Amino acid sequence: MKKLIVIATLLAGIQFTTTAQSSKADLTPVVAKLDQAKSVEDFKTVADEFVEIAGSVKADWLPYYYAAYCNAKIGWLYEKDGDKIEPFAKLSREQVKQALALIDTVKQRKELSELYCVLSMANRAMVFINPMTYGREYGTKSGNATRLARQLNPDNPRALMIEGWEQYETPKMWGGDKAKAKELLTEAKAKFKNDDRSGVQPHWGEPEADAILKKLN
Amino acid sequence: MKKIILLTIVSISMLNSFAQTIVSGKVSDNKGDGISAASIRIKENGEGINADSSGKFSLSLSGSGKRTLEVSSVGFRTSRQAIELNGTTTQLKITLNPARGELAEVVINAGSFEASDKAKGASLTPIDAVTVAGNGNDLANSLRSLPGSQNVGEKEGLFVRGGTNEEAKQFIDGVLLPNPNFSSVPGILQPARVSPFLFKGILFSTGGYSALYGQALSSALILESIDLPDQSSGSFSIFPPHTSLGYQQLSPNKKSSYGIDMGYSNAKLYNQVVPQRPEYIKDPEYLTTDANLRIKTSKTGMLKFYTNFGQNRIAMRNPDIDSNTLKSSFDLAGKNLYAHLSYREHLGNSWKIDASLAYNYSDDRINNQLLDSNNKVIAIQDTLFGNKNNGSRSLVNFHQEKIVLTKTLPRSMSIRFGVEDIFSADNRSTRIINDEYKQELKDRLTAVFAESDFYILRNLAAKIGARAEYSSLLKDFTLAPRVSLAYRFDDGGQVSLAYGMFYQKPSNYFLVQNPDLNNMRADHYILNYQKKISNRIFRIEGYYKKYHNLVTANPLPSNKGTGYAKGIELFFRVSYTYLDTKRQYMNYPTELEPSYTTPHTLAIALKQFFPALGLSANVSYSLATGRPYYDLKQGSEGKTIIQAQGTTQANNAVNVHLAYLFTMFPKSKNRDFSGVAIGVNNLFGSKQVFGYNFSYNGANKVAITLPAPRYYYVGFFITLGIDRRDDLMDQVL
Repeated sequence: MKKLIVIATLLAGIQFTTTAQSSKADLTPVVAKLDQAKSVEDFKTVADEFVEIAGSVKADWLPYYYAAYCNAKIGWLYEKDGDKIEPFAKLSREQVKQALALIDTVKQRKELSELYCVLSMANRAMVFINPMTYGREYGTKSGNATRLARQLNPDNPRALMIEGWEQYETPKMWGGDKAKAKELLTEAKAKFKNDDRSGVQPHWGEPEADAILKKLN
Repeated sequence: MKKIILLTIVSISMLNSFAQTIVSGKVSDNKGDGISAASIRIKENGEGINADSSGKFSLSLSGSGKRTLEVSSVGFRTSRQAIELNGTTTQLKITLNPARGELAEVVINAGSFEASDKAKGASLTPIDAVTVAGNGNDLANSLRSLPGSQNVGEKEGLFVRGGTNEEAKQFIDGVLLPNPNFSSVPGILQPARVSPFLFKGILFSTGGYSALYGQALSSALILESIDLPDQSSGSFSIFPPHTSLGYQQLSPNKKSSYGIDMGYSNAKLYNQVVPQRPEYIKDPEYLTTDANLRIKTSKTGMLKFYTNFGQNRIAMRNPDIDSNTLKSSFDLAGKNLYAHLSYREHLGNSWKIDASLAYNYSDDRINNQLLDSNNKVIAIQDTLFGNKNNGSRSLVNFHQEKIVLTKTLPRSMSIRFGVEDIFSADNRSTRIINDEYKQELKDRLTAVFAESDFYILRNLAAKIGARAEYSSLLKDFTLAPRVSLAYRFDDGGQVSLAYGMFYQKPSNYFLVQNPDLNNMRADHYILNYQKKISNRIFRIEGYYKKYHNLVTANPLPSNKGTGYAKGIELFFRVSYTYLDTKRQYMNYPTELEPSYTTPHTLAIALKQFFPALGLSANVSYSLATGRPYYDLKQGSEGKTIIQAQGTTQANNAVNVHLAYLFTMFPKSKNRDFSGVAIGVNNLFGSKQVFGYNFSYNGANKVAITLPAPRYYYVGFFITLGIDRRDDLMDQVL
């Protein structure tokens, strides 16, 4: 009889575990997945997971931040396919706003700096849609966001990397400076070493910095 | 034994509830393309997966009972459907529709081109009006590269599908812009009064336009003015002979803005450098001042005021057509004041109001004189030559009020209705030699209209409307139906058709002679197919127009004229127009091909922007077959006879425009956007013949051509954004 009860309990246990869902706020596995993401599909999948966690946890800025980052990244991946960018760029900006509402914008300077980095990317994605029409409004907003990200946390490697990208891509007549780009990216590389690669705090951006440094050398 | 059997039965039944339900399939958009990484989730517990790159998915679910399957992806509306967890395998085909405000679902576009500031796909923006080579800052000119519009080089305005430029009207925020261009000068295209940068939305209708508009027999150019600017700015440009200076200020609370612009143009220096055909006594001079005020009255309300005061002056001498030695002079001085007030607001309960008011005052003075070979005025006692000494002064007062109420209903349905009142008073005095006489014309036109947009099926949209008008001067009541339908195929292609009746009063020139005239009428039938092919719009449209009651002057004005226009237009990177039209109007003795039309027109515009260099290059090419010309003379018994007729040569022109964009203060907080532009119209100087003027006896035939073979421009512009925003968020968000 005891054996029957044990077996029945085990069987019942299996049923519960197969239907139970992981709605815990453990970002580590999802962030690890994000580190591996390469294609638009990868980022879409990861964004959905972050949105789910954001919805169930509600008080943490990080899942909103990461969802915004994924959508901004998708906007960048669609650079050559301008028509597709807008919904992702808009959603990214919305998600940044949601994250901003959850942090202390006076005291949490490092967090604010990270959010401005993502905002800079989302605005830049809007420029990709049509540089001639959107360049003026969103290019300026993107640049402003980068500048603020750097002011809030001069050691933020992501802000350094984005400013390096801007200096590299902007034509000279518009104020671009490739020498300055190299300087910024080299400093970014040094600061990336301080990131915690296994944790959940933002640690993306090094491959992007490497890609531009390669072009500069 | 029993216990073992019981346990087995219990286990099996428990295992059955572990049995997996497999839901698989494909998520596509309404063109049939798979939506990569679409999210497929169970609403009740969030379980789910993302589709692969082709939209395919396979979801293994355990449990039993009913669940809601939610399928979503960014930019699309979430789809929900009920599924049953019963251990079986199901294949689903899920189509997601675009989110509202994203790619339009079904858009009725028979007879219309929509362009807005977003500049996606093949659209037009105010920047195109300024940069697409050869447009001279006139929005109407930039539309000549679209199918449906005839390239009439000697006259401003839009000549659409066999209609004259008086049959195509321009509207700003719902009400008429009576004089979009400076007063007409024979044979010379006049510039536009209003800067294209005032507009954010452009709807160019080549026929079949909405019941909200009337009194335009052929076409309506429906313009929407911009709201508040992003920031305060100053601008300056110099493109000889034109120079302009402007300032826009956005209030610190971002709820209002005001601005002022001034533009001055004097062709004197340019005409000394580039030889012109007319002998200028006074080189063309234009002065424009405009001002605007915009107030955001509430979260959803907006009040806008715009006013424009323009003055122009020109005097020229040309050889007189009826003599070898004499010359005729033309002298024009014009003043025009235009003011516009518009208000829009959401009234709650899905109601919206749009109210507009327009006022225009114009004063045009024209003097024609006969001159001898020493440029002295000469009076000849002869009917033909004597009458060449004449003048006129026309003072026109115009105002229009319009209110439109819109109610939005569920399932993308809406109803719009409203009323408008148009008042015009035209005071003319005409002088022939020494006789002067005055005429006055007053009219009040009242119109009521209603229109509804709705979906008959998911893929079939309809728009039905009607418009009733009454003119106090003509004492004519008209009722015009307007109907259009559009059907969207699964592959994204769309077919639209439109039908409408359009009425227009004869011009005041005829009404002063005979106020008992009736409205002219045109019936439009339009069929169109449109599809996006490799990110570009492909469009083919066919139409038939029937004209009734056109104004004939044989010699007294009456409504005996008739006509038709039919054609096919193609647009796919290149625009091609085929037009077959005849009409009996003015002094045409029978139905003739009008002199401002031609059967075949081809236009190609290539634009390329090189962001790395900051260089923008535009080249446009237009080719048109010859235009018909007639020498019409009033014969005996008042009948008009055709003394001569023919067709001009085919005309073609290449226009080039290059702009180099840069910033002079890149590190400054108030960053500027500057550019240098250079261009040539009719680069190869190919001869353009638009028609012929004939002397009275028909012996002298003079070609109507451009004032100079080529038009050059080189200039500089700068816009300085003055960033007064204190709010950090507005600088970045």
